[in-house]
Amino acid sequence: MPGTIHLKVNGKQHAVEAEPDTMLLYVLRDQLGLHGPKFGCGLSQCGACTVHLDGAAVRSCVLPAAAAEGRAITTLEGLGSVDKPGPLQQAFIDEQAVQCGYCINGMIMTAQAFLDAHPNPSRDDIKQALDNNLCRCGTHMRIVRAVERAAKHWKHAP
Amino acid sequence: MNARPESAAVPGTSDFDASRRQFLKTSGGLVLGFSLFGPLAAMAEQPATRIPASPSGAAQAFPAVDPARLDAWLAIHPDNTATLFTGKVEQGNGSPNALAQIAAEELDFPFDRLYVVMGTTTSTVDQGPTYGSMAVRYAGPQIRHAAAAGRQVLLSMASKRLRVPVEQLTVRDGVVSVGGDSGHGDKSRSITYGELVDGKRLDMTIGATGKTFDMKVAPDARPKDPSKYTIVGTSVPRKDIPGKVTGEFTYVHDVKVPNMLHGRVVRPYGIGSDLLEVDESGLRDIPGFVAVVRQRNFLGVVAETEWGAIKAAEKLGSKRVRKGPADGQAKWSDWRGLPAADALWDTLRHASGKDTTVAKRGNVDAALRGAAKTLKATYCTPFETHGSIGPELAIADVGKGYAKFWAGTQMPHQARRDMAELLDLPVENVVVNWVEASGQYGRNGLEPVMADAAIMSRAVGRPVRVQWMRWDSHGWDPKEPPIVQDLEGALDHAGNVVAWRHHMWVPTYSDTRLLASELIGKPVGQIHLGDAAIQYEYEFDHADVVSHGEGRVGLITSWMRAPGQFETTYAMEAFVDELAAAARQDPLAFRLKYLKEPRAIAVLKAAARQYGWESRPAFRGKQSGRLATGRGIAWVNRDGSRVATIADVVVDRDTGGIRVKRVVVAHDCGLVVSPDGLRNQIEGNIIQSISRTLHEEIAFDRAHVTSRDWASYPILRFNEIPDSIEMVFVNDSAEYPSNGGGEPSTCPTAAVISNAVYDATGIRLRQKPFRPERVKAALAHA
Ligand code: FES
Ligand code: FES
Repeated sequence: MPGTIHLKVNGKQHAVEAEPDTMLLYVLRDQLGLHGPKFGCGLSQCGACTVHLDGAAVRSCVLPAAAAEGRAITTLEGLGSVDKPGPLQQAFIDEQAVQCGYCINGMIMTAQAFLDAHPNPSRDDIKQALDNNLCRCGTHMRIVRAVERAAKHWKHAP
Repeated sequence: MNARPESAAVPGTSDFDASRRQFLKTSGGLVLGFSLFGPLAAMAEQPATRIPASPSGAAQAFPAVDPARLDAWLAIHPDNTATLFTGKVEQGNGSPNALAQIAAEELDFPFDRLYVVMGTTTSTVDQGPTYGSMAVRYAGPQIRHAAAAGRQVLLSMASKRLRVPVEQLTVRDGVVSVGGDSGHGDKSRSITYGELVDGKRLDMTIGATGKTFDMKVAPDARPKDPSKYTIVGTSVPRKDIPGKVTGEFTYVHDVKVPNMLHGRVVRPYGIGSDLLEVDESGLRDIPGFVAVVRQRNFLGVVAETEWGAIKAAEKLGSKRVRKGPADGQAKWSDWRGLPAADALWDTLRHASGKDTTVAKRGNVDAALRGAAKTLKATYCTPFETHGSIGPELAIADVGKGYAKFWAGTQMPHQARRDMAELLDLPVENVVVNWVEASGQYGRNGLEPVMADAAIMSRAVGRPVRVQWMRWDSHGWDPKEPPIVQDLEGALDHAGNVVAWRHHMWVPTYSDTRLLASELIGKPVGQIHLGDAAIQYEYEFDHADVVSHGEGRVGLITSWMRAPGQFETTYAMEAFVDELAAAARQDPLAFRLKYLKEPRAIAVLKAAARQYGWESRPAFRGKQSGRLATGRGIAWVNRDGSRVATIADVVVDRDTGGIRVKRVVVAHDCGLVVSPDGLRNQIEGNIIQSISRTLHEEIAFDRAHVTSRDWASYPILRFNEIPDSIEMVFVNDSAEYPSNGGGEPSTCPTAAVISNAVYDATGIRLRQKPFRPERVKAALAHA
């Protein structure tokens, strides 16, 4: 039966009515209007639904919303906006690293968590970090370049 | 009557940025159409404002747009922004950017102030579906002419207003000035397009004849001399990207309609199973559950929440792996009519159909008999799925006398007619609001899912949003057809080709039957025969090329990126390579001997130059060590675009794994409108076609598709991408009209990899995909 679930998303507290076993993805998209995370497979296979839970990249399509209570959830919207894109988002714009863009949430959220932990990665490290994220448009070359660009930016940042 | 009364009602300049931000901010809200394309104009175009909630029971009409009028194509707003309206749609490869560049060029208007509204049937002209790399080639000239006519109209308005003859006016960045070519002229005597039009509609007649692809628009317009282009041929940033990397962009998957329910389908167990019974017990205990929708063999559920719909559908049998026709609370008949997997190739050879002669020259049989050496080979390619990362989705609102859709279809205008037929409604009572979906690469399930949503909405009397589950998409989207091809060739003593035979069995790749329409027993859509998807250009003295076109074989099959031609290029270009190897000749020089067409020769030579090709026959003998390296070459002419590809591969002899390391592409699609956009598309084609070559195959048992997720249908991953994809554009100049770039570079890849694997190891891979087990088995037999 539906109950109240308390979620902290992008720094804001929300109370939502949902069944506790509802996957976090549907709560974010349908109840909180956050469209960054996408439904791709619902099977933890593609990465389109990736969000951060206490800074770690997780797949919200298989994470019951109740299990995210008391944790800090960050979505793509939490990294920046069209008016003020985050550095990794800006790198994707600079490299024009998008075709349809449906997978890009997963790419950015996965790469962001990875870069936070590994600020100075090699190209192979980046590929390894993204290896479980699928892109059907074949935007891989540009996605890798965008992540490399962002990593360099951080290295040179004061 | 015109369908777009609001399009000129746009706030003034000072509000522009604030409104734009506001617009973007509200994209999490109710109903949005076009997000970053044309903020203000698109606002006016939004379904929410354009289509009022229907008074219950009232019929509503949604008239089409008249292509003979300028405002069918163009609106100029008081803040000196503009909107281009096109029936072509974005499918994830950025081609509308090229159309906008063409319009901005002809209008002498800044690209960054020009926005695009796509697809929606009440706002755009039916320019035909967006497929076959035809957007720029066919819609390009239509838009060029409409925009050129628009410029003439604006200039004559300016001439009246400024009281000088048109000849004394110049335009720059949407500002008309009196004076010379300096660009600015006399400041006191200049006026913006926006001021000129003053919020009015451009309702003058520019003329149009013909339909869709063949339509001629504004026949009297005089487009610019291409040598004067300043916007076409430059790389402009795509306007959709900032929204897509921040979550602010609205995909069709994000649209919400007031009072909307969520639907999920429950497909038959077997492709031809009948629905025997549905046990609804327990469904009402699922929070938010509303109803089961059952009509003959169509089964679906609707609920107030997505989660409720998913759980209810799962109870009835919608899941990744189904154990049998009674696995779930819906029971199906035990249909097993698909061919056994290993009998597929024979089934294809024996399916009825029609032969098309592609080439007939000399006497192949006699030439084969008299030859010094003859070769024979069969190439097989499997069913493949489009595999959009976001599964198919549509929203339908069907009431008495009207139907509204929100859909990402590549053919909104055709889909409108199909939905009218399905629902027994006059076409004018149906509207398709086009909103971008996940990339589709051809006809995936975006049209079929509209039928699912229509049937469910009609049954429950409320708008229903239907999204396919991953297994619905892999299991039931229209597939690329399997093809079997027999080749025979012969050489004389000097190593010249004296005979060439290529026979192919090609099921339809144009089966547009809507699945749900078949399930309810009211078929909508056509099953065409498979076309001869080949461009044969070699000049062999004796040649016999025949395509046997068939109807549906087993599964619904519809076009996927370079349909059929990806497969026929594989067989043709790999078998040419077999002949070159048998003659111990360099595969590039061997091809060039038999080609006359200068553009074909040019791309092959350009690729070879970029690669640093050294002349030698393929396969230098067995390489020592675990890893063997090789190079391969192939080329294609797809509808006038020529592409030659060369790649280096590494074959791991122990695992059978193939890695493509370096790719060089020479690409001739004439004048390139949007260079970075084209590069992005070519990279996509190359990566996707490597994926199709190495990994992709839809498996099935006698009842249904068993590749129902990404584990059973793997695609290329980051660890497998090439180190580099180098590109050279050939004939990129105004003498060569712009041609398509969305598909051609897919075609050569399978042959290139097969040829490179031969060069590395001496084995020929004649069946796709080249998965490690298959490669290992071939190596073991070598
Ligand atoms: S949607 Fe969650 S991993 Fe695919
Ligand atoms: S950009 Fe379309 S799936 Fe990656």
